[in-house]
Amino acid sequence: MSMNALLRCEWRRVRVRAFFWVMAAVVIAGMAWELILMLGPFLAQQQKLIASGTDIGYTDLVLLPWLAFFVIPAILMAPLATMSTLAGERRRGTLALLMASGLSPLRIVLGKYLAALGWLLLILLVVLVMPAALAFAGAPDWGKLAAAALGLVLLLGLLTAIGMAASAHSTHPALAAAIALVVSSALLLVNRGSLQQGVIGGVANWLALPTHLQPMGRGLVSSVDVAWFVIGTVLALALAVHRVAQEKDRD
Amino acid sequence: MDRVDLTLNRGEVLGLLGINGAGKSTTLAMLAGASRPSAGHVLLDGQDLAEYPEMTRKLIGWLPERAPVWPELSVAEHLDAHGRLHGLRGKALRQAGTDMLERLQLGPSRRHLAGTLSQGQRQRLGLGCALLHQPALLILDEPANGLDPVQATALRALIRERAAAGCAVVVSTHLLDEVTAVCDRAAIMHAGRLRHDAPLAGTGTSLENTFMAIATHDAREVAA
Repeated sequence: MSMNALLRCEWRRVRVRAFFWVMAAVVIAGMAWELILMLGPFLAQQQKLIASGTDIGYTDLVLLPWLAFFVIPAILMAPLATMSTLAGERRRGTLALLMASGLSPLRIVLGKYLAALGWLLLILLVVLVMPAALAFAGAPDWGKLAAAALGLVLLLGLLTAIGMAASAHSTHPALAAAIALVVSSALLLVNRGSLQQGVIGGVANWLALPTHLQPMGRGLVSSVDVAWFVIGTVLALALAVHRVAQEKDRD
Repeated sequence: MDRVDLTLNRGEVLGLLGINGAGKSTTLAMLAGASRPSAGHVLLDGQDLAEYPEMTRKLIGWLPERAPVWPELSVAEHLDAHGRLHGLRGKALRQAGTDMLERLQLGPSRRHLAGTLSQGQRQRLGLGCALLHQPALLILDEPANGLDPVQATALRALIRERAAAGCAVVVSTHLLDEVTAVCDRAAIMHAGRLRHDAPLAGTGTSLENTFMAIATHDAREVAA
């Protein structure tokens, strides 16, 4: 019951902060603009594509590449949405109050995680409404879109968890945001070097976020890729819980 | 902290004194369940707090030093959040919130964001959050911080009222007058240890003399 109370409190705090609304507005406007920019060239070539008899339509040429673009705002948003969750609470002294209310470190971390993730998922939902709104003009491949959406949900889950871990281990929210950004960017770029050398496979490739996200972005859902995201999320949350538990032992 | 042993009875008000850095706030954080002692136990009605964290939620109210708040929530939202965190729901929660707003004269500020409150208002809000669920043990860390004389007098009356209702109260302060005005017993901490624990009534030496003796004797020891 107490976690519900914390979740409710956190959700309220997220909703009243102008910063979260500005972040949402900028990302949604940016994604809408990007969709318009990508639709233009597609519409110009649409007749040629029909004439060539290809199966490739606007799902493959517009919607999936456009959804892949969401990775960039996601990597920027998650650290900003989570930076204050624990580092800010610690600085204000409210983290001690939460611990004194009988909440376990796991519940504190989960309550805050779910509130931050909920906000980011709401932004994703608004973004996903855009291609759905275009459905009247054609027949998008809903299966591929669902796979890509699942990938983005898992991505937000992982990035939010990394943000929570960074916030738990930092003394200042800005430092937490920087750490989360560096870790998330490292996951995005870790296999760049090996790919440029033509090396496919290996540890760096397995660690890299695109290795597990890109197949879903093409409509392929593999349990291995889903497991990679889930393991990463659980690991990051466990690090956050461990740090908050240590906080209680601080003398 | 080193070998701090304190017992507090229902309806008793204990004043915890000490110079800055004596360990008062750390002791109170442990009593409140916000910190875990590396050795020893905090027992409430004979039950170990570490084993029954739910007891902390229901039976303890804590006002930390400087009354931390969430700046983006209003006064009423704070009371609502703290009430829920301590297990209150529905009508009981609304009634407790309304009573507390009235009791602490926070009604006119109920919609004000906590981040915009004065120190005195923040202190009263923190006090309200600690008292909302009618705790059996009330822990107050420097509760008179930022209060004007009228509010400080009202605070003393509130503490005595809670004690009369059977609530055990611990008040940490560095103001000796505050202790003599409201407490039944005084404990003095120094350098993480409990150096004095006695009832206020019937002691031969004044509390001020005892306090100064402990503080200055230790200071001389350090200098030597």
